[in-house]
Amino acid sequence: MARHSVIAGGTAGQPSLGVVIVGAGFIADHHGAALRTSDRAHLAGIVDVDAGRAATAGRTAGGVPWTTDLAEALARPDVDAAIVCTPNVTHEAIALQVAAAGKHLLVEKPLSVDVPSARRVIHAFEQAGTTVMAAHTHRFYDYARAVADAIGGGAVGTPVFARLALLGGWIWPDWRAWVVDPGVSGGHALHNGVHLLDLVTWWIGAEPVSVYARGRKQTAAELGIHDYLEMTIDYDNGASAVCEMSRGHRPASLDRRDVLVVGTDGILQLPTDGWGSTVVTESGTALLHPQASDGFAVQLGAWLDAIDGGADAAMTPADALRAVALGVAAERSIERGEPVSVAEVLGGVPA
Amino acid sequence: MSDRALGVLLLGFAGLGPDQDHQQDMYLPAFGSHPGFEVVGVADTPAGASSSTGHRLAAKLGVPAAASWRDGLTDPAVDVVSVCVEPGLRVEAVTAALRAGKHVLVDKPLALTAAECREVGAVAAETGLVCLPAHHQRFHPMIGSALAAVAGGRVGLPWNVQADFLVAGGTPSEAGELANLGVYPIDVVLALTGQRVRQVHARITRHWHDGPADDLALLFLTHDHGVTSTVSVGRMRALADTRPAGLAVHRYRISGSHGVLDVDAARPAVAVRRAEATGATWHGASTVGRLLDVLHAAVTAGRSSSPGPADALHVAEIVDAARASAASGVPVELPDSEEGSR
Ligand SMILES: NC(=O)c1ccc[n+]([C@@H]2O[C@H](COP(=O)([O-])OP(=O)(O)OC[C@H]3O[C@@H](n4cnc5c(N)ncnc54)[C@H](O)[C@@H]3O)[C@@H](O)[C@H]2O)c1
Repeated sequence: MARHSVIAGGTAGQPSLGVVIVGAGFIADHHGAALRTSDRAHLAGIVDVDAGRAATAGRTAGGVPWTTDLAEALARPDVDAAIVCTPNVTHEAIALQVAAAGKHLLVEKPLSVDVPSARRVIHAFEQAGTTVMAAHTHRFYDYARAVADAIGGGAVGTPVFARLALLGGWIWPDWRAWVVDPGVSGGHALHNGVHLLDLVTWWIGAEPVSVYARGRKQTAAELGIHDYLEMTIDYDNGASAVCEMSRGHRPASLDRRDVLVVGTDGILQLPTDGWGSTVVTESGTALLHPQASDGFAVQLGAWLDAIDGGADAAMTPADALRAVALGVAAERSIERGEPVSVAEVLGGVPA
Repeated sequence: MSDRALGVLLLGFAGLGPDQDHQQDMYLPAFGSHPGFEVVGVADTPAGASSSTGHRLAAKLGVPAAASWRDGLTDPAVDVVSVCVEPGLRVEAVTAALRAGKHVLVDKPLALTAAECREVGAVAAETGLVCLPAHHQRFHPMIGSALAAVAGGRVGLPWNVQADFLVAGGTPSEAGELANLGVYPIDVVLALTGQRVRQVHARITRHWHDGPADDLALLFLTHDHGVTSTVSVGRMRALADTRPAGLAVHRYRISGSHGVLDVDAARPAVAVRRAEATGATWHGASTVGRLLDVLHAAVTAGRSSSPGPADALHVAEIVDAARASAASGVPVELPDSEEGSR
């Protein structure tokens, strides 16, 4: 049988989904790379308010059409969906526009920066009948799936206490960066905290009741956000989880992931000192990470599955809303110095 | 004080659990193998005496069994009293021993409430004798080196500690595991940071055992200088790779302005893997043996010990506040330090 390429991808006669990336910054590259490995979707365009960035990204991707006008991109018939990689506070307006255009959406976490806004986004996609998924990428990493598989398989019985820590040093630019502006990022609990709040809740598999959080401005007292967060969730089945998200650790090169799950039948733990190989060379000692799947590619596959409407979505809109609610509760708890109930944040309205 | 071994009276064989006998399980073997001590007598409380544990032990050791515990305290051969009486009598026994002019080693917890600890501390201060609460986990070799490293500035100014202290198997304590085990990790966190606790938030739950007693506590502490710490402490079900009542997880992470220190108290260890089970072994003095070194040094030097009653008091204040917080669901402020009064 002859081998040939199919223009614009696609398997078994299925057309490949045309995806436009909105926001050509840091994380957009990871989504672009995932799209390049997919035979179910392809990059169809780039949108960025910054024409220079959009143009560069379009050229780098091999001459993909770019624009600074989202409406123009969404009007193209060969664009079926969008991956939104813009600053957090812009997610809602862009998402509503994508829904109005009748396209599917993979939006970077957090879905939005507050609960009413997250609800408006979900509602818009319900009305449009298209798919929205928030990019809680950690759910798609090997380590997270290994833990989820083990718990799901009953390895520790019912989890009653979990610890998840993602510790690292300062990776952000200077004072001008949007990530350190709580008005744009929503605060660190919404910006990065949601990764852990969502993941640990997925692992524990119970409904969160309240959040008690403590924040610290470790790198500089003048920070508007807490670069170190400790967020404790209490669940309706009596379980608790302690999540630490840090960009305030030193040395800045620290890259630490700590997982401990204590259940009614046993304990599950990832080694804190990493699980790679050790390489000792003339320039010092380093860790060689094991080969792993590309979480962004796995996430892309899960989103495409959700669009196809097959099995249960790996990350539902309700999950994304809950993550936002937990992030808001954490920020509020830091402000008040006491636990904040999730019901309060959700305003008593069912998700 | 001369080079002669210090005479020890073993007083009481009770603890916080129905079958808890740290006197025979922990202290007697440690005194027995320590060159600085010699067991010279055995005594028990009226309740304990009915079980005749003391009499049997005295016969086995070839030492006198005191007719009453107060009689035991008058024996001039006794320098040190090792107190393991039931919690309800602990304050009475410890203060009586101190007033009789004896130094005291007290099983943990020194007392069940902060008020009782305060009473003991006052008598210890008044008599000038050694009153050593058995906070022996801080003498673990991994923790000992960590204490020195933090105090020496290896991680800069510490700003956070995360601690896990989870025992697997063994008999649960009727008083709850926060009362029974909480003192160990709390004492280590306090020793690591040297910072008093100002605020406590806590969640106290039960997951593995029947009855009303708690078996898992999460403590969120705010210390002086804005240092925060979180402690998980409890007793879970037995695990194949952990000896009964052994530590399944025992670790501390200290984050500082200039570095991070991870302490895994499951080390140092020679790993032993066999068909039936996996385990570990190590050579060297036990944490209780090191505790006795501290006792001996304090007694012979005529100075107070570290840890002392003030440390036990602060732990008790934290445990009291944790209960109040768990009941109310909100953080509880600790009363101002009584540092000035001691
Ligand atoms: N999943 C993950 O692991 C992960 C990691 C990092 C960041 N993120 C998320 O990705 C998103 C982007 O973060 P980043 O670090 O790539 O930011 P970035 O600043 O590097 O890039 C953002 C880009 O969006 C553009 N932009 C801003 N407003 C726009 C608008 N209204 N329309 C179109 N373009 C606009 C900017 O010009 C910039 O090029 C954020 O939501 C962030 O939370 C996710």
